[in-house]
Amino acid sequence: MKKKLNLAPVFFVGPHLILFLVFVVIPTIYGIYASFTQWNLAGSPNWVGFSNYSTILFDTTSTFHTQFFNGLKNTLLFVLFTVPPLIVLPLMIAVALSHKKLKGKTFIQSVLYVPGLISISASALIFTLIFNKQLGITGNVFGSTIAWATHQPYAWITIILLTIWGGIGGNMIIYRASISGVSEELYESAELDGAGPIRKFFSITLPSINFPLIYTFVMTTAGAFNVFGQPLMMTDGGPQQSTSVLMMYIRQLAFGSGESIAGMASAMAVLLGLVILVISALQYYVMNRNAN
Amino acid sequence: MMSNQVMNLDKSAVAVGRKRTKVSVSQVVAYVFLGLLCLIWIVPVIFGITTSFRSQTEVVSAGFRLLPVNWIMDNYTAILENTSTAPILRWLTNSVVIATSHTLLVVVVISLTGYGYARMKFRGRNVLFFTLLGISFFPGVVNLIPSYKIIDALGWVNTSWAMIIPGLAGMGNIFLVRQFMLGIPKDLDESAKVDGASDFRIYFSIMLPLIKPVLIVCALFSFTGSWNDFLWPVIVYTDVDKMPVTAGLLLLQDIYGNYRMIGQLMGSAILAIIPTLALFLFAQKYFVQSINLNSGIKG
Repeated sequence: MKKKLNLAPVFFVGPHLILFLVFVVIPTIYGIYASFTQWNLAGSPNWVGFSNYSTILFDTTSTFHTQFFNGLKNTLLFVLFTVPPLIVLPLMIAVALSHKKLKGKTFIQSVLYVPGLISISASALIFTLIFNKQLGITGNVFGSTIAWATHQPYAWITIILLTIWGGIGGNMIIYRASISGVSEELYESAELDGAGPIRKFFSITLPSINFPLIYTFVMTTAGAFNVFGQPLMMTDGGPQQSTSVLMMYIRQLAFGSGESIAGMASAMAVLLGLVILVISALQYYVMNRNAN
Repeated sequence: MMSNQVMNLDKSAVAVGRKRTKVSVSQVVAYVFLGLLCLIWIVPVIFGITTSFRSQTEVVSAGFRLLPVNWIMDNYTAILENTSTAPILRWLTNSVVIATSHTLLVVVVISLTGYGYARMKFRGRNVLFFTLLGISFFPGVVNLIPSYKIIDALGWVNTSWAMIIPGLAGMGNIFLVRQFMLGIPKDLDESAKVDGASDFRIYFSIMLPLIKPVLIVCALFSFTGSWNDFLWPVIVYTDVDKMPVTAGLLLLQDIYGNYRMIGQLMGSAILAIIPTLALFLFAQKYFVQSINLNSGIKG
């Protein structure tokens, strides 16, 4: 219709588009490309085909193979231990907070939300002290004589508790908003039918907040796969690398003190990315199908 | 000691309940459950704060105490005096500069871009938007190493730019702003357009005031997100004077660590917490409002 080219959209959308290209598209493509190369981060990458992948996946004599599978195992353990509580606990809190006669809801919500605003490095310092054998709470109050950070399963427990403590806030708020959006009439008519609290939860609340449940489950899981700070600060991957997660190996290989092995690290990153994609898709598919 | 407090709290919750004429079981259960959780959740924070006011001898000899015997400020003076190995004021300043500039730029970028994708007409608009959104779901771990390389090529390693700019490329906030704008009646800007107003004028005088709620929420989360970012600063900063406080705290484990200077360690952690906590106290309702935006994705 117009003959003159309208440049206004370029002004509005253009700057972000450039940022997106430079900081998302190009590095993602380059990251995939780099996974097929030998690269020390400083020079230019040498194409080696699938060699990095075959080393990581099949060469049982290689340390990269051991590191990848140990890191993947530990990352999966972290996901399995933290995601269910990060869904169930906020859900229970939201249900408890939806109780009509409850007082002090805002205060309770704030107390439970605030740890999420504390950086991992700050909260880990506090938790390290809490689990300190001589000076902390576990030793002095509960009489534990174990150095938690250097013994299993305690090392995992410290990491998991820190994660749950700092991680429930976001989901709690999402569930609260979703539950408050459920129609009162549904509950009232269920009460008339003689349904108790548990029955009401399973037959009204849960189905009504189906979408937020899927959303938080997928997002929380994907986030958990990127775990890095908690084990780094609490256990430094120990004891005997039993809490070394994949992100720690990726960082160490690419940015560690020795010669950078960025190609191998990129291959591990791509494999981790694929795991996240597949799991997210599976979760979405299964939960969506069950819901319908 | 803690178990005693827990029991007291349980009893008081029940006692409060009994005073009322009618108390349902579910109410008591809710109170006990939430009371216990709040107690567990708040103890680490209080423990961290009070320990930062205890002397090292007291920490070591008296073991765990929630409250100090003697409140001292020595830890904080010591932290502030150490400007060589752990310049915490420098780190806090860096964090303030980074988080504030990042947040301001986020607000500019997401409002402009959101307007573009929600209100302007150009060919391939929705295709472009949903393509970018789809790409943004791709796991970020893949672009981590090349992102460092790009920052390096731009000469931004060990500068604040490394943390201010890359995050502006995100799609999440733009999605929220666009959703919010789609809910605003079109008549407003269309009649302005008939009157000859330019897109920039409509964006600035009509849209910006209307989308303030969503911008505030995005700004708060950008600020806290930037303040608490950990992996990226650990990678891009090697210069002690240039790093933000989250990365600095990692160094402290070696400097004050091994529990030789616990008070200092806790004091530093507390100083790093204060800004985001203060922000929460002032803007609590917006933090909690965010949820409505999240569930708004439903529609």
